[in-house]
Amino acid sequence: MKRMSFVQALNDALDIMMAEDERVFLLGEDIGHMGGDFGVTRGLFTKYGGERVRDTPLSEAAIIGTAVGAAMVGMRPVPEIMFADFLGTCYDQIVNNAAKMHYMFDGQFKAPIVIRTAAGGGFGGGPHHSQSVEGWFMNVPGLVIVGPSTPQDAKGMLIACIENDNPVLFLEHKALYRVRGDVDEGKFSVPLRKAHIAREGTDVTIVASMKMTHEALAAAEELAAENISVEVVDLRTLRPWDTQTVLESVAKTGRAIVANEAPKMGGLGSDVSATIAEECFSHLKAPVKRVCGLDTPIPFSVPLEKVILPNKDDIKKAVQDTLAH
Amino acid sequence: MDGNTVLELYRKMWVVRAFEQGLEREFKKGNVPGMLHTGLGQEAVQAAIANSLRKTDAFFPDHRAHGLLVLAGTPGEKIMAELFGKATGVCSGKGGSLHSADPSVGNFGDNAVEGSMMATALGVGLAYKMQKRDDLAAVIVGDGTAGRGEWHESLNLAATWKLPVLYCCVNNGYAISTAVGDSHATAELYEFACAYKMQSVQVDGNDVVEAARVTAEAVDWIRQGKGPFFIEYKTWRWQGIFSGEFRPAEEIRYWKEEHEPMKLARDYMVKNHIADDAVLEQIKAEVEAQVETWITFALESPPPDLSKATANVYVGWEVETR
Ligand SMILES: Cc1ncc(C[n+]2csc(CCOP(=O)(O)OP(=O)(O)O)c2C)c(N)n1
Ligand SMILES: [Mg+2]
Repeated sequence: MKRMSFVQALNDALDIMMAEDERVFLLGEDIGHMGGDFGVTRGLFTKYGGERVRDTPLSEAAIIGTAVGAAMVGMRPVPEIMFADFLGTCYDQIVNNAAKMHYMFDGQFKAPIVIRTAAGGGFGGGPHHSQSVEGWFMNVPGLVIVGPSTPQDAKGMLIACIENDNPVLFLEHKALYRVRGDVDEGKFSVPLRKAHIAREGTDVTIVASMKMTHEALAAAEELAAENISVEVVDLRTLRPWDTQTVLESVAKTGRAIVANEAPKMGGLGSDVSATIAEECFSHLKAPVKRVCGLDTPIPFSVPLEKVILPNKDDIKKAVQDTLAH
Repeated sequence: MDGNTVLELYRKMWVVRAFEQGLEREFKKGNVPGMLHTGLGQEAVQAAIANSLRKTDAFFPDHRAHGLLVLAGTPGEKIMAELFGKATGVCSGKGGSLHSADPSVGNFGDNAVEGSMMATALGVGLAYKMQKRDDLAAVIVGDGTAGRGEWHESLNLAATWKLPVLYCCVNNGYAISTAVGDSHATAELYEFACAYKMQSVQVDGNDVVEAARVTAEAVDWIRQGKGPFFIEYKTWRWQGIFSGEFRPAEEIRYWKEEHEPMKLARDYMVKNHIADDAVLEQIKAEVEAQVETWITFALESPPPDLSKATANVYVGWEVETR
């Protein structure tokens, strides 16, 4: 066990996989000697060289296309898209190519790529550097979406993703990059499609992921002082998400809050709450509540951004409302 | 070019022609679902490409390359059955005309989002280079895709990284109805490759001897590790637009009669005493008869098992069924 930041944990995972498996290579903008915009690939260029830590121009479609093509012939590419907001420029490669290939060619090809990207807001990044994009991809069969919330999961899940045969969108919330935590040393993997009970409780379940997991835990801590026992489920894999763990938790507590930073309409939060309502109706003591981003772009000015993005206090209020129902 | 090679190219061209004519006939009868794009008129391009690739190469066919899929080595009946949406097709009927892949012969499948394969081919080329293989990735695209961002991203990166990628640009003059010169800065598409400092050539795509010679040279260049190569084949498609014909009568006459690929090949062989009309007729008859057996096979094949509808969405994971 070693204490390290989320960034270091990701770096460690890449290092371990590159050392172990020649097929693993990285490509993206400024990931080489600069080590990436957020330092995730720092040191790897010196260690593995420019062939395997490949700087690209601002050609996002080509970055993903290159990754997909290489994956079709046995490589394990880990492309980086600097900001998740830019995924629109390579949406087609992800949605129509990577995610569909295994199906449309009936199993003859696969596209095991892991697209790492920095997502999420809260730091004044403005409309094009702050978005939570999982909703853009929720409706894409064949794609896996992962969003860890701790350094331990960041490392273990990145390793699991590189070893998985499906295309993965790996979301790294920017607010978590500097978060530190205990991380197991050496190689290990954290299973995909398995949610984590981040805090046990009996009165209400909060389903969250990435930064919202931390907001939910902070809310739970404060609510404990009010004698409210909150269970926090950290989804970790956002698609296909772990319905079983969520439904078991809600069956136990009878109340559910779904917290998601992205806009409420048509997002992960909608899917989770609909599934709970559909599958867990008889256990529910109150309607499921969603705590999500407002249905707006993300403004630059930080006070305005705070209006848009959900936080601990919004979650707390939702819990209190649910219990008062 | 030696006579046997030309004769072989001629046979290949007939595979394309007969396949498409049979397919078109069955499509009109309602036996082939979906949309149909045919390679009629572009037989020489496909024969030339097939002549130079080997099974360990990768190729990304365009939407008119059904014949090429067969020429690459997949049994014709399996391609035909795929186009009919049958269980016996190369992709169990799940891909159809636009997505009939067969990795065993290097066929990496078309992508019906036209031009997107330009980016995918980069990855195959890069991987082959990293794996120290001397195989190449060929990508076959229409003139219409020259407007795509991926098209330009691909040329730029293949040239920068010196990747073993063969660009086969089938310039048949139009994207559906829009003339190539009306929608691009140049109608001579190889000029784009020049701007990216890539080796390139423009060739008469209806002259199979020239097209095959140029393709072989390009493949040779790439196999020597000299980087990518761009070929612009000037040709013409018989198919107009879905609803009919829109091109001027004189243009149609020129391409379908005077500068028609089969005719040019025949003239060449007769002039050079490679084969007489009887031999050439026999090739045509043989191929046509073979194609009919493929059509019969496709017609008689069962539809896919319904469990295929939810199979292979994820590797190793099942999806929910109703
Ligand atoms: C990205 C994309 N845009 C539009 C279409 C619809 N479409 C199908 S074929 C075609 C024209 C393509 O022209 P070209 O590349 O010249 O090929 P041709 O049909 O002439 O062989 C268009 C616009 C498509 N399939 N993909
Ligand atoms: Mg065209």
